[in-house]
Amino acid sequence: MIIAENLTKTFRDRKRGLVRAVNRLSLNCEPGKIFGLLGANGAGKTTTLRMLATLLEPTEGSASIAGFDVKTNPEDARRNIGFLSGSTALYGRLTAREMIEYFGQLNGLSGSRLKSRVDNLIERLEIGEFQQGRCDKLSTGQKQRVSIARSIVHEPPVMIFDEPTSGLDVMTSQTIMGFIEECRSENLTVVFSTHIMSEVERLCDHVSVVHKGIVAAEGSVSALRDQTGEDSMESAFLKIVGAMEDIDE
Amino acid sequence: MSKPSLSWVVFRKELRETLRDKRVILGVVVSPLLVTPIILAAVFFFAGKKEIEKREATLSIGLVELAPFPEFANRLDGEDNLRIKQLESRDEAIEAIEERRIRAAIIVSSNARENFLSGGSADLEIVYNFANENSQVANGRMNRFLRNFNEESVKQRVASKDLPPSFTKPTEVTSTNIATSESTGSFVLGLFLPYLIVISAAFGGIQTAFDLCAGEKERSTMETLLVSPASRVQIVKGKLVTVFVISLIAALCAITGIVGPLILGIDFMKEQIGNQISIDLGSVFGLLLIVIPLALMTSSLLLVISSFARNQKEAQAYILPFISITLLPAMLSTIFGAETQLYTAFIPILNISLTMKQILGDLFDPLFFAISLGSSLLYAFIVMRIAAALFQRETILFRT
Repeated sequence: MIIAENLTKTFRDRKRGLVRAVNRLSLNCEPGKIFGLLGANGAGKTTTLRMLATLLEPTEGSASIAGFDVKTNPEDARRNIGFLSGSTALYGRLTAREMIEYFGQLNGLSGSRLKSRVDNLIERLEIGEFQQGRCDKLSTGQKQRVSIARSIVHEPPVMIFDEPTSGLDVMTSQTIMGFIEECRSENLTVVFSTHIMSEVERLCDHVSVVHKGIVAAEGSVSALRDQTGEDSMESAFLKIVGAMEDIDE
Repeated sequence: MSKPSLSWVVFRKELRETLRDKRVILGVVVSPLLVTPIILAAVFFFAGKKEIEKREATLSIGLVELAPFPEFANRLDGEDNLRIKQLESRDEAIEAIEERRIRAAIIVSSNARENFLSGGSADLEIVYNFANENSQVANGRMNRFLRNFNEESVKQRVASKDLPPSFTKPTEVTSTNIATSESTGSFVLGLFLPYLIVISAAFGGIQTAFDLCAGEKERSTMETLLVSPASRVQIVKGKLVTVFVISLIAALCAITGIVGPLILGIDFMKEQIGNQISIDLGSVFGLLLIVIPLALMTSSLLLVISSFARNQKEAQAYILPFISITLLPAMLSTIFGAETQLYTAFIPILNISLTMKQILGDLFDPLFFAISLGSSLLYAFIVMRIAAALFQRETILFRT
């Protein structure tokens, strides 16, 4: 459902010159599975996800979402994506209901279909009580529920999560992780970036450890632990990244 | 049911959110419709009051007679609203003016009376302080008094020689103003209304434009929007139309805020402008038509600034050059007359202001109007393309 081959992104930086943020990264994510991108800050996770979401154009390589090429058919690719990141970005002067409706309309829903879909999400995510409240007046937990509704209003087959629990408290993080698990059980294709090891251990079926834009290691959580001979994912991650640093030196 | 275009979806949402922004409502609607007329009325009221006070105030005037000149001194004594103080010397007069004991002084030369009685000119000097407003008023009052004194003296001299009064008036001039009171009112309105409309149309959309791009980046909603199926061109179109509509509303409110009270009849404001204010529907249509490309161009410029900025604070830092670019030509329009050379129809913003001046001053020139409209639309189109191109650049959209 998500296929990326040799994805590369370079930026020109005034001080550092040409920076290769992502270097020949390939991945293959299947429906009903959670694909984790694990890496430290600045490893290239967000850049990779932005290329998949067509926000950034790959410098080299190719990627497709639900069969739509991100370079040649970005609108259709986006139509098949639900995107959720840590910053609960909602329009403060819209109500919770208007926010969900707006993204439904942007995704081509209208009329009774839009209404029934929004009603359904409001009931399912327990938004009813505050559906007429302006988003800037909602609590963090309420905002997250609206964000989730906004991201799945068009029933996308692919979900992209970019550090979705970043800056959230434990309770709200649990809601998000529960939602990611629901996506898997509904047979969606899920890509999930994080630097929190416990989330990887709980959620991911397949992990790519990214370091300086390169895939340093990949496999299931248990396979990565076995490869490194470590008991925890955290130790395994540090060993993989440490080995990469040694190669660099 | 057909699906709305995504630009329309973006526009409707942006407009809805903008109209819920109290800052926009205050700046675009409340201020021009209520605050501006109140401020203008207050300015006119106090300016008029000050003028009356200036005319009627009793001023202390020093009189230094180096030799007696009773014909002059008696006439000066009889003048209303003057308090005459006899002084000994010019130096004493200067000191008294500096200490504000008197506002001005008249120095009568030693041979003034002799010259006056022999049919010559009496040497008189007015001493005043230009840096003091009341002293300036006193100088003006003295000049008016001396004009009257001279006229009366000439009449007496002419009569004493048995000459007709027309002897000193080789021509008798009558000026006839063919302008109606309505067109006079419109002309005076044309002196400042275009400037005001241009400023409102250009600056009315600032808050909205900054909120829609730089604000979205700041609040991290831009990324959410860009991941939707709407293309960047559709997004920029929706945002541009929103800023454009707000700019037009700002211009309309500015016109209504100024013209409305005048038409509704606030008497002392009418007196300042002219006897009657009436703008026909054709002129209103012309004003609206010519303000459209202006609002389009300034909205696009604002969107360019807002797209480029990382956040609203940075956008505000970039706004100064924009204000200068807009203000300078708008201010030039107050210097240029409505009947100007055709090349000015190509100068952005100035052409719009001059066209408005022509419309209001009954000097409508179809060729000037057509060139102004055409060139302004072209400039607006170019800036719109720049705004759209900027929106395609990921280095601009993801500047943090």
